[in-house]
Amino acid sequence: MFKYVKHTNFPVNIRKKDLRMAKYLVTQFGGSNGELAAALRYFSQKFNMPDDYGKALLNDIATEELGHCEMIATMVHQLTKDATKKEMEEAGLGSHYAEHGKGVYPTDANGVPFTVTYFAVTGDVLADISEDMAAEQKARAVYENLIDLTEDEDVLRVLLFLRQREVVHFNRFKELYEYYQKKGY
Amino acid sequence: MLFETNGMDENISLFISDIFGRENKDILSPKEGFLRGNMFASEYKPYKNLTYLPLKAKSEREEMLYEIMALDFAINDLNLYLDLHPDNKEVFAMFKGYVEEHKKQVKEYSKIYGPLTLNKTVGSKFNWIDSPWPWDNLGGSMYV
Repeated sequence: MFKYVKHTNFPVNIRKKDLRMAKYLVTQFGGSNGELAAALRYFSQKFNMPDDYGKALLNDIATEELGHCEMIATMVHQLTKDATKKEMEEAGLGSHYAEHGKGVYPTDANGVPFTVTYFAVTGDVLADISEDMAAEQKARAVYENLIDLTEDEDVLRVLLFLRQREVVHFNRFKELYEYYQKKGY
Repeated sequence: MLFETNGMDENISLFISDIFGRENKDILSPKEGFLRGNMFASEYKPYKNLTYLPLKAKSEREEMLYEIMALDFAINDLNLYLDLHPDNKEVFAMFKGYVEEHKKQVKEYSKIYGPLTLNKTVGSKFNWIDSPWPWDNLGGSMYV
């Protein structure tokens, strides 16, 4: 089961409105390489892990990723909450406003809604965990693209933290992958 | 069933290689690890020349909360490591130390500023619902 803790994994406090950045950033919530895909991927795959190492690691990383969804959604909310309708339209978020008002909705940077087809559950331990490793690398790459696109320190601080978590998760998945490979899966 | 062995390979340390040849001195303090997003010095890989930006607490409340968040982070990162290396006694001892410290600080914080988890909502008022929620930012103050 899950219980809520009333703080984010890392402080998020964006003071400056920036619709352009919000439009890009949302992809790490609802895009193919984003945190929601990561959370659901590991959450779903954990049921088929063959031993306690895989069960524990996938469960615990899935849980952390759910917290990261909240962080990205928080950033998008804080970047957009003071915007006028006109500003949203000018930033290319007019269609977002039409569909969602100023709500936060899991899409990629092009407004394409989240879909579970972004991830796989194959029932094959090595296939699943190598997808997990790739997912961490792709998320790291997207965080680096996003870091290149902003100069706002409030945004940068959080992106650097989240990017580093991808590095750590990749390493854990790699250790698990090599172990299962040696075990002959 | 509850107290049966977990079925782990007894020689697991031979199987799960520590790809960093880690020594325990490699582990950063919760505060240093929290800022970097990584508790392990040898695994830390910054992007270009961008390492991390400092966090400045603007009130006593924020300062207390950051300490709790840093401990929470340390516990989480050691947790992931221990998932694969549960027989590492030194890291487990470190983990337990942070869990104790976290418990103490959360108790202290909740008494003054309200609950961070529902089960700490035990005062004279149901203040679980009180703003700010983590996604709020009020007047430039870092939430909660």
